[in-house]
Amino acid sequence: MTATTVGPADGSGSRDTAASPGRPSAVTAKDLARSAAVRRRKSARLKIWVGSVGVALVVLPVALANLLPIPGPDEQSLSLRRLPPLTGGHLFGTDQLGRDLLSRVLHGGQVSLTVGVLAIIVSGVIGLIAGAAAGFFGGWVDTVVSRLLEAQLSLPLLLMLLLVVALFGPSIPVITFVIAFAQWPEVARLTRSLVLVEREKPYVAAARVLGLHRVTTLLRHVLPNVVKQASLVILLLLAQAVLLESALSYLGAGPQRPFATWGRIIADGQDYITTSWWLVTLPGLVIVLLVVGVNLLGDGLRDRARRRKGPQTEGKVSRA
Amino acid sequence: MTLSPLAACAGPGSAPGVGAGSGAAAGSGITLALNRSLVSLDNKLNQFDAAVTVQRGVRQALTFIDPKLTVQHVLAERFELTAPTEWTVKLRDGVRYSDGSPVTVEDVATALRMYQKVPGSFLAGLFPEWPTVTPVDAATFKLVTKHPVPTLDYLMANILITPAAANKPEELQGGVGSGPYVVTAANRGTGEYTLQVNDKYWGPAPAIKTVQVRFLPEEANRVVALRSGEVDVIDAISPDAISQLSGLGDVEVQQVPSTRITQLFYNFRKPAGHPLADPRVREALSYAINGPALIKDVFADSVSPARGVVADTLTGAVQTGEYVYDPQKAKQMLDAAGVKDLKIKIIWETGEFANDTSVMEAVVEMLKAVGVQAELQQFQPGGDISKWRQGRGGDWDVLGNGYPGPTGLALTPLQGMFAGTKEKEATRDTYQGYVFPKIAALLEKASQETDKAVRESVLATAQKEIWNTWPCMWAFVPKTVIARRKRVENVLLSPTNSYELASVRLNG
Amino acid sequence: MVRYVAQRVGQSILAIFLTVSTVFVLVRLAPGDPAAAYASPLATTAELDRIRAQFGLDKPLIQQYGIFVQDLFHGNLGTSFSFQASALDVVLSRMPYTIMLAVSAILFAAVVAIPAGVWMARHADTARELGANVAMIAGQSMPEFWSGIMLLTVFAVLVPVLPASGFTSWAGLVLPTVTVGILQIALISRLVRREMGAGFAAPYLTIARSRGIPERGLTWRYAMGNSAVPVVTALGTRFAAMLNGVVVVEVVFAWPGVGSLVVRALETRDYPLIQATVLVTAVLTVLVQLLIDLTYPLLDPRVRLGKAVAS
Repeated sequence: MTATTVGPADGSGSRDTAASPGRPSAVTAKDLARSAAVRRRKSARLKIWVGSVGVALVVLPVALANLLPIPGPDEQSLSLRRLPPLTGGHLFGTDQLGRDLLSRVLHGGQVSLTVGVLAIIVSGVIGLIAGAAAGFFGGWVDTVVSRLLEAQLSLPLLLMLLLVVALFGPSIPVITFVIAFAQWPEVARLTRSLVLVEREKPYVAAARVLGLHRVTTLLRHVLPNVVKQASLVILLLLAQAVLLESALSYLGAGPQRPFATWGRIIADGQDYITTSWWLVTLPGLVIVLLVVGVNLLGDGLRDRARRRKGPQTEGKVSRA
Repeated sequence: MTLSPLAACAGPGSAPGVGAGSGAAAGSGITLALNRSLVSLDNKLNQFDAAVTVQRGVRQALTFIDPKLTVQHVLAERFELTAPTEWTVKLRDGVRYSDGSPVTVEDVATALRMYQKVPGSFLAGLFPEWPTVTPVDAATFKLVTKHPVPTLDYLMANILITPAAANKPEELQGGVGSGPYVVTAANRGTGEYTLQVNDKYWGPAPAIKTVQVRFLPEEANRVVALRSGEVDVIDAISPDAISQLSGLGDVEVQQVPSTRITQLFYNFRKPAGHPLADPRVREALSYAINGPALIKDVFADSVSPARGVVADTLTGAVQTGEYVYDPQKAKQMLDAAGVKDLKIKIIWETGEFANDTSVMEAVVEMLKAVGVQAELQQFQPGGDISKWRQGRGGDWDVLGNGYPGPTGLALTPLQGMFAGTKEKEATRDTYQGYVFPKIAALLEKASQETDKAVRESVLATAQKEIWNTWPCMWAFVPKTVIARRKRVENVLLSPTNSYELASVRLNG
Repeated sequence: MVRYVAQRVGQSILAIFLTVSTVFVLVRLAPGDPAAAYASPLATTAELDRIRAQFGLDKPLIQQYGIFVQDLFHGNLGTSFSFQASALDVVLSRMPYTIMLAVSAILFAAVVAIPAGVWMARHADTARELGANVAMIAGQSMPEFWSGIMLLTVFAVLVPVLPASGFTSWAGLVLPTVTVGILQIALISRLVRREMGAGFAAPYLTIARSRGIPERGLTWRYAMGNSAVPVVTALGTRFAAMLNGVVVVEVVFAWPGVGSLVVRALETRDYPLIQATVLVTAVLTVLVQLLIDLTYPLLDPRVRLGKAVAS
């Protein structure tokens, strides 16, 4: 195995090339270090590291927002309006009502992250069940699920989401549900394709021969084999859920005030772009940091999993 | 004036004579950016402030309310009260439409009929009753009413005159008017219009040859577009936009006190035992609101404190008192009234007034300081707030609401808000349940009094009575603000948030 | 082929009809009163009732639906409440702007993303590729409203070289296109990189290379040819999604397309306008998807329509 300039991508040909040290080989350690596989492993590790750091930089302060020595998110002092960052003990400056922007962003993050996490749990569970059932049972179950998946493609998604939020009121459960509704097809599609592969494997036939009920086979044997693969996509969906939530609250479909959410802080700050750049820039950077982190982490984990398992159907995550 | 997808396809340059973007600066035209979409140049339904400017450029009324809120004659040469229930009007000599045909008495009669037939019209609420037209000669007619309507000359400024044959009981999408401009291109879907000078205009020719109207709903876009010279005049701008624009060399911000009043109005449908049914509690809460801080810090002095129950710019408005900030007094009065742990719910619709959310979030904190816990419920435009206001959606305590003064008369908003009666309340048609028979009777009397001095003294009494019922937790009079490029001059901004297009000039 | 198209069209019509019907019910279930949004705030209860009757909103839901379906078959989508004009006309007057933005964004994305993806595939597993990859991930991670506002701040406020809003000159197309494009480039370039990577690894490419065919030809003719179907699918799907309204970007840039129209129609509870928008965009979306399917046999002779769908 030499390090070619154009290496086979996606780990298709090359498995781990750790040649056992005892055997004589023309491949030096230096060659190994330059090999595509090693570089890929390195880049996956780098992605995971950088991603984790990015996520931690956002999630930890958000989670600990109530303990940090910062003013409350609603504490206003009208005489200290729109202070630039790093003045008067306000790291991110203050907003149009003299509230500490950092505190608003962190407390807003609690709402946004809660919605995001809840949404992927709901969409993950629904997508997993629907996709697994479609892939495993085939027949009319598959037809129904596949048609639903197709139908959603032609839906004006954001419009429907705005409508539903208008319909049931902008509360956290409604927004969570709405985002889950937008996301379950990703999980379902992936699970279905994974289960289709898994279904043909000998252990499924064995289970059938042993007289296990089909549902039991699916739940006890097939699902555990696909959950890990599918869960990697779910991490990437978290990134989208956060983005979707911020878009909804940017368009005005966020939880009741004075709850801050990231989208709303930016929408409110938009009116001040020519004078107070930080009101839009900093909350946006926090979103970007988190989402880049989650995406890198998800990407890295997926690269690693793919290397172990060889090429597999990958979750192609697309954004509505 | 058609709504053609092809016209939309034509894209840039489809408007003759108007350069795009910064090119507009060199042309002989101006570009206005409105915050709401102008869907027609008629006002039977779409009566929002900024539209009036453009609508009046194309169609005219018998009279006009000038920036000092007095009546000027336009199509009418004479408009006089000749008997308690009778006005005599004479059309000006030589007034004609852009197609050359003259304005006739029949056109006025038809216009009045058509306006009456439109359901949901804003104007119907302004007219206590519709006058009928009795022709006297070719150019003279009488406007007759059953009861005296001493303010008819003000009200008729809202009735735009169109050729009788072309007038319909709906928002007119095309047709001609007698104004200084004609529409040469229109896209209702996108709210974009091009106006060109009317060659056959009966009055002095306007200085600006072309007026381009655009629709930019977001304020951030309007501000940026004005800064870069893409547009020349923007309206309905918030205090923040003022502070962003006021330092710029080629932009001028122009403001006048408006005829609107914005209130934190109490819910008057509370049962007898409820704290808010007690005027002392209503008064006490008003001391919790730090008005001066809100005006200075949130509004950047772009509003003035209310000194009465309607905007003091209006004809007939009087000063009745002021809102004072005194949290200590608020607490004492609440204690004295035996109110503890009061919880209130404040509702409003997004965009009801400038910086609405900032004000509401600030008010919550101010109330907290006097021990009152306030909860906010914000409604999206198109949401259910109208149902809530009628008391059919849910319980609330304070409503953030603006009330216009479109006629320039104090009487109009006073009647709209405070002349509630038991009969009106049966269909929930009062203003937040405000029913005080004594006040309603005073206002009724004022509306029919033809003697100006008597009318104003009755109105003054009524306003003092209203103030003493403490209808609002706080109120302010917003200023009408426009911002324009400095090259655009002589914009005679009126408190009703419109200006005469014909008098605008370009410098250089 | 004809049978396949007929079948697809039939399915699509059914899907669109169901979608529009769902929207019909949803808008009427939502709180808010079109009459109140339409009339002045001073309108009385009696007056609101009259307006409701005028709009036909006083009838039972099922009867309203019957009228709606009947009108639909006559090509009549009703009169927009807020525009007082045919809802279809209003949507059609705005559609060109959305199509213009979608076309410009997808072209921009394709022109940047395909070479970028190929470049990444050729430099697979190098530090450069990692860098490009991270940049793409960053592009994919920005909320569109935020990147839009940022671009607007830089290019219309700090260095005012581009118009900030609306469409009055072609320059006005730049910022919205770039804003939409950033995300699309990120998604498409990574897809291209994946597909090309697989292409470069395929045995036929090794054979072609051993026959001395130059790298450039290998890349574009052989590897790319094999990736054409997934790449075109991705471009088409993204394009179709944009027709559904690039709502957020249209709002940020006051773009006069259907996305910002929808937001406004929702605010005024303009039922016919909401329905017309959904119908028109759904029809366009389905058409685009059908067109993509029809290009498959052209791009890849192995594909036969009707069979290609099973992937």
